[in-house]
Amino acid sequence: MPRGFNPQREYEVAGDAIRAALIKRLRISSAIADDDVKEIEALPIVVRHFPAETAVVRDGERATDCCLIADGFCARSKTIANGKRQILSIHIPGEIPDLMSLFLHVMDHDLATLTACTLGFISHETLQRLHRRRPVVAEMFWRDTLIDSAMFREWIVNVGQRPAPARLAHVMIELRERLRIIGRLDGNNFEMPLTQEQVGEALGITAVHANRVIKQLRQEGIVDLHRGRVTVLDERKFLELADFDNRYLHQSPTL
Amino acid sequence: MPRFHFDILENGHLTQDEDGRDFADGNAARKEAVLTGASIARDAFTTGSSHRIVVDVREEGAPFLKVSITLEVEEA
Repeated sequence: MPRGFNPQREYEVAGDAIRAALIKRLRISSAIADDDVKEIEALPIVVRHFPAETAVVRDGERATDCCLIADGFCARSKTIANGKRQILSIHIPGEIPDLMSLFLHVMDHDLATLTACTLGFISHETLQRLHRRRPVVAEMFWRDTLIDSAMFREWIVNVGQRPAPARLAHVMIELRERLRIIGRLDGNNFEMPLTQEQVGEALGITAVHANRVIKQLRQEGIVDLHRGRVTVLDERKFLELADFDNRYLHQSPTL
Repeated sequence: MPRFHFDILENGHLTQDEDGRDFADGNAARKEAVLTGASIARDAFTTGSSHRIVVDVREEGAPFLKVSITLEVEEA
């Protein structure tokens, strides 16, 4: 153990960072009173580190906590009988991808890390007590899960109707919009830590087709996905291709 | 695991797969080639960008198999 290392201290810092990410994100879509912020800041959170591509909670399991992402990327997915996997959503810091497990007791899909992650676990019991004590917080989490389902609707439209290059561009822009909110954009550069295989699983195409689409968008000078980073090469063409309207993200309390 | 390369011919334009991809066996690579052809053809045929897709698979540099998909519309 390095000199000066204090596990308890690290634990507290990580816990604070986790709550900050959540509050920052919730503030974008809901108006929160300071009292409610204090309640969220006081939530007991157990911090755990997960390696990349590791299950957090599996299809069929009974969860006792909700998981708040402090750092890293997660994905929700479902695997069918023939072993093919569909990625349903990508999750970023400040999100609680399994918030529905508070009411839907047995998982109906998988939640796993894409990259190494720092996750904060909040027990269902704690959240239920908070909801009963502060109905406004419950409403805020409710709105959050409704936005989550709005994103699923968009994902269905995307996978069902758009050609593959537009599908990829749409997923990229959605991720960029969400990363912008939590201050994780780096110029015209952002993280999308998916392998070609995973891009295929998100878009409902094969890994070979995903590879071709990525190459095509790079050659056409629109956008470059390389080693989990997206660089926009031509913003106008990128937006035009994706046919993106951010309304469904409801990134303001008035939307 | 053997390494397979999937070159794609669309509208006379060849895209070579320099990287390749590992598959457990030839059967898994064949499935990937068929699915990839079908998936690219769906886009190409519906957007009208091409009438013919060929997925040309090489195993460790040597020809392995070729999947060809052609759109034919016969009007009455």
